[in-house]
Amino acid sequence: MNCPHCGTSNFDNASICANCGRALHAAPPPPPPTNTYMPPPPSSPGAGYGSAAGYGAPVPGARVPNYLIFAVFVTFCCCMPLGIVAIIFGAQVNSKLAVGDYAGATEASRKAKLFCWIAVALGLGGFIIAMVINGAALIPLILESAATR
Amino acid sequence: MAQLSFPSFSNRLLLGSAAVVAAAGGWVLFTYPPATTPFYPQCAFRMLTGLDCPGCGTTRALHHLLHGRIEEAFFLNPLLFVILLVALCAAPSVMRGERPGFLSKPWFGWGSFAMVAGWWVVRNL
Repeated sequence: MNCPHCGTSNFDNASICANCGRALHAAPPPPPPTNTYMPPPPSSPGAGYGSAAGYGAPVPGARVPNYLIFAVFVTFCCCMPLGIVAIIFGAQVNSKLAVGDYAGATEASRKAKLFCWIAVALGLGGFIIAMVINGAALIPLILESAATR
Repeated sequence: MAQLSFPSFSNRLLLGSAAVVAAAGGWVLFTYPPATTPFYPQCAFRMLTGLDCPGCGTTRALHHLLHGRIEEAFFLNPLLFVILLVALCAAPSVMRGERPGFLSKPWFGWGSFAMVAGWWVVRNL
């Protein structure tokens, strides 16, 4: 590329001019070659999600998941009190979004997700323990019916 | 306008598998009544505390529902019918490929909490 200040030809990836030493991109850059190029939107959801920079200042307008369906499903199927906690945090996401508290909503969303998965783990563990106890209670019955046959 | 895009191969595989599992589960549920058959998974909360959880009775309710006995199913777990009603309300938006707007409303979140927690308390009184 040519330096916008002195016109000297430089390497394409150079940031300063080899002749005059001034920044090659200080001047307005040439228009992109095609119209199909779109700069990344500043408010893309998930941009900086979980990162320290994006966490403190969530982008207004970005959707914050509330995990409410997941939480109700977990409470309904895993029978665990933690599912109720997840529903409370999910409800908080909606309330905080409604008043524009994006940082609070993101935090509540994170907690709702966390408690959903803890509830799933505890629920599955409970099911397995219950199945084992149930199965153990069935063994004498099965043996008895096999012996009398 | 309603616009349904044809699902990708992996999504079709997932949908197909889900349909097969649902059909198999439905057949088992239809044939063997959960109230008298021991092999169904038991609710851990109920085993530990002797109390009903918000979802207790769903398996028996679905068995009755598959046999068309709506009244018996309703009295085993009314909350199941509330959830089915909400799913029915959400269906038009989901069919259009959109997210139902009411899911993000504060009243929906706190309403869900009130329904589930309230039903949990009331059914154990």
